[in-house]
Amino acid sequence: MTSKIEQRLRISGTLILLGLLVEAICLLWSRPIAFVVFVSLGGLLTGVGVLLFLYSLVTIDQAPKEPL
Amino acid sequence: MPTIAIVVLVLFSAVLAGVLVLRPTITIRPEGKILAFGVLFFLPLFCLLIGMDNEMERSKSTTFCLSCHIMEPYGKSLLVDDPMHLAAAHYQNHRVPADEACYTCHTNYAMFGTLKAKLGGLRHVYVYYLKAQPRPEDIKLHEPFNNRECLHCHLGARSFEEGATHNADPATLPAIKANTLSCVSSGCHDVVHNVGQLDKVKLWKEVMPNSDQQN
Repeated sequence: MTSKIEQRLRISGTLILLGLLVEAICLLWSRPIAFVVFVSLGGLLTGVGVLLFLYSLVTIDQAPKEPL
Repeated sequence: MPTIAIVVLVLFSAVLAGVLVLRPTITIRPEGKILAFGVLFFLPLFCLLIGMDNEMERSKSTTFCLSCHIMEPYGKSLLVDDPMHLAAAHYQNHRVPADEACYTCHTNYAMFGTLKAKLGGLRHVYVYYLKAQPRPEDIKLHEPFNNRECLHCHLGARSFEEGATHNADPATLPAIKANTLSCVSSGCHDVVHNVGQLDKVKLWKEVMPNSDQQN
């Protein structure tokens, strides 16, 4: 069974992973809509992922042997 | 930084993020914590910033603006073989950088001008994808063309300051500088793109030169 922090890391990592993939596709796709998708979808997924990671850090339980 | 290098960095970061998604328990160890901080904080933000910078630079390119089908006649208007066509004369004689021809004249040379130009571009995308597209010849500027954009380059230039037409009436030059008399007003430089008349004019070249290829 995974701990809460592990779950949050997984969600955060997944969001960042998706955001980065969207960004990579947009960088290779030279169309005006790519610019919009890069900023809106890529930026949103990455931003939410990073914020969730930071939130996980500040709300972490101090129990020993916990990840992070 | 070349686009391909940014893409490689973004994909490398994505792979590392994938490792953390599959094995979050590696963050128990101190080196895992450092890795998590790098992969879930530093690298995504760095990739976002350099990617954004790359996209912003790319969005200034002539080929970017002309990649929308509706803008094709405007690209063609840059190739008109007539020095009276303002946009064509500027493009062909490199009075504006050929690879940033649209942006150079249509940005806003005031504070946050680039940002305003990009927000205007978002409106174009909205209309292009979600509204009925106008005919190219029906496209109008959001607001009247401000002389500031012309004076950004021409102010102080001898051809502008001492031009016979500009000095025929002593009130003309101050009015141009105060933006009360538009550079593109009727009887002055009023032939700009004229996309509705392109089938009646001779072209200098049939295709855009390679100088405006994107990186």
